[in-house]
Amino acid sequence: MGKLSCKYEQCQLDGAEVKPRYIDVFVTFFRVGLFTLGGGLVMATVLRHELVLKRRWIRDEDFMSELSIATLVPGAIAVNIAYLQGRRLRGKTGSAVAVFGTVLPSFCIILLIAWGAFPYFSHPKVAAFLRGCAIAVTGQLAFAAFVFGRKQLRSWRNVVVCAVGVLVVAVLKLHPIWAVIAAGGLGYGLCKNVKPLDSPDADKAES
Amino acid sequence: MQILFRLFISFALIGIGAYGGGLVTIPLIQHEIVVSQNWMTFDEMTGLLAVAQMTPGPIAINAATFVGYRIGGGIVGAAIATFAVVLPAILILLLLAPFVDRVSKNRHVWKLRQGMQIGVLSLILFATWSYGSVAITDWLDLIIGAAAFAVLVASEGKLHPVFVILTCGLAGLIIF
Repeated sequence: MGKLSCKYEQCQLDGAEVKPRYIDVFVTFFRVGLFTLGGGLVMATVLRHELVLKRRWIRDEDFMSELSIATLVPGAIAVNIAYLQGRRLRGKTGSAVAVFGTVLPSFCIILLIAWGAFPYFSHPKVAAFLRGCAIAVTGQLAFAAFVFGRKQLRSWRNVVVCAVGVLVVAVLKLHPIWAVIAAGGLGYGLCKNVKPLDSPDADKAES
Repeated sequence: MQILFRLFISFALIGIGAYGGGLVTIPLIQHEIVVSQNWMTFDEMTGLLAVAQMTPGPIAINAATFVGYRIGGGIVGAAIATFAVVLPAILILLLLAPFVDRVSKNRHVWKLRQGMQIGVLSLILFATWSYGSVAITDWLDLIIGAAAFAVLVASEGKLHPVFVILTCGLAGLIIF
């Protein structure tokens, strides 16, 4: 098979150049965008199955690198992955096609709902229903805090970093991204022994 | 038009803050859309959050489409808001894309990541507080919320949150 190389503009797999047509890229991401219900990481798993295993457009190694970056920068994971994978497949145009395909399904569905259902939101019965929903969402947030707190607040250092994050966003009332930046920098400074994450998806709150 | 510009700014800000999953964006959405711009009421936003989790697509993007449509006057508003919310990430990735392999394997990045994950936790804690303090108004609310929390813990997260949301909604319909 020889040495595989995967530069950004093309991906050579099995010695043959893999350059999917734009329409294929669009359809792939559109389908994944349409049928994936759950957080961005769920979509990442599905996309990996499609791109790496089923269609063999991308090497697993490259996919994982991209997933790592997709979770490293702000923004919806689904969109980030689409951009990076699309770019690897067909360059900058490919990235636009992939992102467009990913966003289009939800865009259309939400438009439909906004047009059809929103006028009913102010109905008193609906308001009561929504009040219940709000309580559930609070529970959902608390659960996410519980799950991640249990996993991460294992040392005093981590607790301090977390406290600083809360300080930045709750007391200083800065934009949340600053909390992430501060926590990252502080964590970098404080934590000496770092075991490299085995997989980039060992993190992340679910949406 | 001024509204479209304002939509763009608000959702670009939300787009930058969308780090670590959709739930984290809730306080930002709450601040921008309900408090600062007065585009929706808290209840309407909750409806949006419930819908956004039942449909495909990330929460922040669905929120952009929805609010953009209602506030920006139709599809154009929706398109502009949706574009705004993905733009920050795209710009950052535009710069980072050529270095994907190097950055993803960099030790320093790994070390930063650990702290950043904890940053996400702090944002979730804050979100729980800022959203919860408006959603929960009395002891009854607290009890229902605790029950929802207990169900989620007991199911070890395997239950899709939508079930809990709908159930609590029904409970709300009966009780309130």
